[in-house]
Amino acid sequence: MSRNVTPGRLLVVDDNKVNRLLLGRGLEQQGHRVAFAENGRQALEMLHQCEFDLMLLDIQMPEMDGYQVLEKVASDLNLRDIPVIVTSAMEELDSIVRCIEMGAEDYLTKPVNPVLLRARIGASLEKKRLRNQQRELISRFATAEVAQDLEESGFTLGGRFVEATAMFSDIRDFSTLAESQSPATTIELLNTYYTLMFEAISGQGGVVNQMVGDGLMAIFGAPLPLPNHGEQAVRAALEMIELIDLFNLDQAATNKPTIRIGIGIATGQVIAGYTGTQSRATYTCVGDTVNLAARLEAHTKVAVQPILIDECTRLSLSESIQVENLGPTQVKGKNQEVTIYSVPVRQKE
Amino acid sequence: MEEQAIIDLAIYHQLKDLMGADFLVELIDTYNTETAALIVQLGKALASCEAVSFERFAHSIKSSSASLGALTFSQQARELEMMGKVNDLSGASLKLEQLVANFQQVKRCLEELRDEP
Repeated sequence: MSRNVTPGRLLVVDDNKVNRLLLGRGLEQQGHRVAFAENGRQALEMLHQCEFDLMLLDIQMPEMDGYQVLEKVASDLNLRDIPVIVTSAMEELDSIVRCIEMGAEDYLTKPVNPVLLRARIGASLEKKRLRNQQRELISRFATAEVAQDLEESGFTLGGRFVEATAMFSDIRDFSTLAESQSPATTIELLNTYYTLMFEAISGQGGVVNQMVGDGLMAIFGAPLPLPNHGEQAVRAALEMIELIDLFNLDQAATNKPTIRIGIGIATGQVIAGYTGTQSRATYTCVGDTVNLAARLEAHTKVAVQPILIDECTRLSLSESIQVENLGPTQVKGKNQEVTIYSVPVRQKE
Repeated sequence: MEEQAIIDLAIYHQLKDLMGADFLVELIDTYNTETAALIVQLGKALASCEAVSFERFAHSIKSSSASLGALTFSQQARELEMMGKVNDLSGASLKLEQLVANFQQVKRCLEELRDEP
């Protein structure tokens, strides 16, 4: 018993008071804080009321048995991460197998051996700690939507076709601007710019999945489906321009340089998925729709319009958003002309 | 039942060493009270032919008895549990009577061990 176990908050669920006392004593001696439930129903109530690091669960119980608890826990987003160790008689091997298949992390046979109890609890708590750490890392380097998709579907390289809207945005003449400022000022400017853009994009349900220099790519409708993704993207674009205008007012007031951005938006089928290698991958979207959005963003300089959208995006818009038809246009990188629309920044009431 | 056979002393003393003598006093008293109550419920379940409840009460007695080293008694409870499991309570009445009698021995033996210095 030399290994130190980080103390945890544990829930012991058993209808037999002697078993509860024994398990509780063993766990408290190891430094854990222990709460008790006499049946499954009571256990679920407690799990909803307080936070627990681990649950020791008996199978045969009145009112709600261990299987029913496992079923409820597995289907509850708030509870499914709690490790469950099933406590059961040795002869109930079939029951143990069933519990493991239902999501239990481990099992202990009764009478519980205190040394084994310590080892199993320690291992489960350690695994939980590592899982939490991983989740924290993922949420830091991926968007909440990607983290949720990863958690629900798991990680596999490869893609799938999704109906979505792609958006590209970048700062006009940023290189020239960067050369005239100190590196610290440039980074500060970029950070403020990204903060504002993220706010507008995520506020409309979009996901920023690439940032390169002063440019960004956002997706509306992947990895998680989003109704009206075309209109949401256009609304985000209008907000982005509005936020940049406000930011420029602040900049001008303190004699700092102002910025202008261009945004290209296209809607259609995209290939969405994780690309890279097993050890280093990123969630991204590729395909004609994504290319067109990038080309439209580049074309904003030629058209001298801040927001350009394609025909599919326009078709998805409600009447409350006005657009201006720029007609069939030759866009760089496209063999055929495409009909494009400008979205006026000042929308009529 | 001989005292040795009633309570496995190796299990009992290991439990005492690990959990502490004071705790064991509380544990024995709880076991005696709870098991007496479970036996009453076992009798009620048998009277109303509720095999599922009968199985659960017998299972509970089996489980805690093994923890305290009452292995033979635990085995008897297991036999009753199995009768409930296969939904055949014929002959359970006699076995329950034996269980009641044996519980008195287990109870007495545990009380003697509890009161040991």
